[in-house]
Amino acid sequence: MATSGAELVRQMAAGDREAFTLFYDRYAPVVFPLILRIVRERADASDVLQEVFWEAWRTADAYDPTRGSPEAWMVTRARTRAIDRIRSTRRRSEMFVAPLDEAIAGQPAPDAAERAEDRGTIRSALDRLPGAQREVIELAYYAGLTQTEIAERLKQPLGTVKTRIRLALERLRDVVRTSP
Amino acid sequence: MTHEPYDTQAALYALGALDGEERTEFERHLAGGCAVCEAALRASAETLAAMVRSRPPMVPPPEVKEALLRRIAPTTPPRRAAARPRTLVWAVGMLVAMIAAAAFTGAFVAARYEGRLGQMAREAAALRERVQRDEAALRQQIALYRSVVDLLRDPQTRIVTLHGLGPSPEATGRIIWHPVNGGHVVVANLPSAPAGKAYELWTIADAAPQPAGVFQVDASGRGTHRIPPLEGGKPVKVFAVTLEPEGGVPAPTGPMVLASK
Repeated sequence: MATSGAELVRQMAAGDREAFTLFYDRYAPVVFPLILRIVRERADASDVLQEVFWEAWRTADAYDPTRGSPEAWMVTRARTRAIDRIRSTRRRSEMFVAPLDEAIAGQPAPDAAERAEDRGTIRSALDRLPGAQREVIELAYYAGLTQTEIAERLKQPLGTVKTRIRLALERLRDVVRTSP
Repeated sequence: MTHEPYDTQAALYALGALDGEERTEFERHLAGGCAVCEAALRASAETLAAMVRSRPPMVPPPEVKEALLRRIAPTTPPRRAAARPRTLVWAVGMLVAMIAAAAFTGAFVAARYEGRLGQMAREAAALRERVQRDEAALRQQIALYRSVVDLLRDPQTRIVTLHGLGPSPEATGRIIWHPVNGGHVVVANLPSAPAGKAYELWTIADAAPQPAGVFQVDASGRGTHRIPPLEGGKPVKVFAVTLEPEGGVPAPTGPMVLASK
């Protein structure tokens, strides 16, 4: 039976490089598409991926399995680092060119079924959300916009956006719970 | 106050969308220790991880893994036995690493400095040898100058001019000559003797030329040579220089390059 992710992190904390290799092979293919989707550039995504796993190696002893799965540990870290990367890119670009967040977040989301088709037959959990809920998750989680920025972009009252985000997250939880 | 607003804030916070005052307020609430919000945040993190996992996996560029394996290599503590307490393992690991580092550093420094010291010793020996050689050359030169000056002080000493002949008309020379003590020949503008050859000085008194020693000139065409006194202190009528085999010959065979009148 395969070693659990939590056990791999424990072995990494003890300096086990083989455990790190197994850990990387297991989680890098999960977080890489997330990072790539956020930062968009493959070279940037590779940089961020390396930083994320380097941090995991260095902070493995701080991982507490009672506080969450290794997958959530890595996904949260990857998302944070990827958003940090686009925010710094955006800050740089704001000094020279038109705000890049237009380009990053303003693209109309393609139809869910169409996107599922693009990737083959699998419909991701997000694709199973109603369009309006999917949109706020996309803007917050993948584009790194805050509630205020989302309200501005969608031209909706802040309260509406808050509620929509909360409902979207609740719906998403139901979706992943019922997924195989 | 009801907890309800915090439920919404927790959802927004989980997605990284909470901002401004609200964010500060919620973080303060969290720091105060709210089990409900903590649980909600954990659940949301798992939900979002599941969402991410539900998308097709993608193999990252192999360079990333290679770079990471290179990066983690030097900081790796040694493998441990599973049963040992972690602190002990760390202590032992640190100790081993420190000893290894110290040994490595020591060996490295020793090797480096041994090599450097050896090189310095060789350089010092070479320098000493060169200084000794230079010193000997200087002593020789000083002895020569001193004997020339001594000779010049003597009223019996005369200076004989040599003129270039045949193959080397620009060559010049002087003989500082004392009838009892002998003397020196100094030459200039004489071409270096070909390989295997040397210049030989002759003194001619009343009969056949007598050999008075061989000498070489330096690259600038200059040379000096000590001339031994003639037996019986016979007066020399003519001084001459010929080009001869390196070892010198008893009677001149080669071309005459310098001669006094």
